[in-house]
Amino acid sequence: MSRLRATFSVEHLVSRILLFGGLLGIGVVLLGLVLYAAHGGFRHHVLDLTRRPAGHPPGVFVSVRQVTGGLASRPIDPLALSALGLVILMVTPAVAVAAALPAFWCTGDRRYALIALVVLAMLALSATLAGSVH
Amino acid sequence: MSLTVFSLAVLFTSIGAGAVGAILGLGGGILLIPILTVFYGVDLHYAMGASIISVIATSSGAAASYLRTGLSNLRIGLFLVMATISGALVGALLAGVVPTRALELILGLALSYSAYTTVKQLRDELPESPPDDPLALRFDLEGTYHDLRLEREVVYRAQRVVQGFCAMFGAGLLSGMLGIGSGAFKVLAMDYLMRLPMKVSTATSNFMIGLTAAASASIYWSRGDIHTLIAAPVAIGVLAGAYLGTTVMARLRNTTVRKLFLPVVVYLALSMIVRGLGLHLP
Repeated sequence: MSRLRATFSVEHLVSRILLFGGLLGIGVVLLGLVLYAAHGGFRHHVLDLTRRPAGHPPGVFVSVRQVTGGLASRPIDPLALSALGLVILMVTPAVAVAAALPAFWCTGDRRYALIALVVLAMLALSATLAGSVH
Repeated sequence: MSLTVFSLAVLFTSIGAGAVGAILGLGGGILLIPILTVFYGVDLHYAMGASIISVIATSSGAAASYLRTGLSNLRIGLFLVMATISGALVGALLAGVVPTRALELILGLALSYSAYTTVKQLRDELPESPPDDPLALRFDLEGTYHDLRLEREVVYRAQRVVQGFCAMFGAGLLSGMLGIGSGAFKVLAMDYLMRLPMKVSTATSNFMIGLTAAASASIYWSRGDIHTLIAAPVAIGVLAGAYLGTTVMARLRNTTVRKLFLPVVVYLALSMIVRGLGLHLP
């Protein structure tokens, strides 16, 4: 019975992180779009839907440094803020697994703590390989 | 098309894609990519980038709810996602080495067989009471959820764990080699091979697809395939749709979910066979 309660608490924790991570990410995306609208972006801009072989249009960020650069600029780049929201959304599943690792460990389930660690290592390896290829 | 009209159209489309994705355990790419490219004229790369965001948003929205209600099984999800991600990593390394058309053809035929077995199972509300699989017992691959439709607690345990794990590795491998999403394969492996209740299969798939998408999101990001002005309305719409989908799915029968899932398997089987034969449809 205590095992069942412990399992539920880890699932509850992961559920909360996915929920709040998702809502936070979407909140930041929305804030960026509101600022973009306030700057007249939606009035003047006609979206280019074609991907060019060289160079990226406004709204395409390829590194976190570009995003932080846009956030640091004055006035702030509202699309960088929305991109930050997308980044928050993208890392949320990994954060949830990272939180599950100590939670499993604390509830005495070392086996699933190890499995969570393996999954995290695989996610890190994927990100590293992606970075090295592109 | 003005940006305002485009954003609103994509937003409402994404609400529908998110709801369907949450119910069927898919990322929504199977719906979103054709709609974005054919109806809205979005470049395929940007559509795929928006699709990867939609997968993560669907997963976050749906899995948050499903984990709370016990429909999504965290342990089964984590156990199987090891196979999927390692398969995807091997698949990415093998891409270009193995002839993809032959693979697509084999996959299409395998999916056709899956469609046949899905038809045979259409009336099965819940799997029969399972024999004890030693690995399922060792790794606690079991659970309980309260079925709102049946108005009772449903107890389940995974069967044929080795086969399910291998199928997940295969799904990841093909996903990595062919660049296709693997939500449908995950659902099939859990439903058909591991004999989990259909709703548990789609709900657990929802948790898993977020992790596998997160593993590849950085590739799309660094390639410049994620356009904020396209991905942002997709993310907002899909998350809202996913919450809506979880509410609906909890009240559906397992047989209804399977009936909704069947056309997806048939579509995937046909498209893989067509690609494998080197045919191009208009």
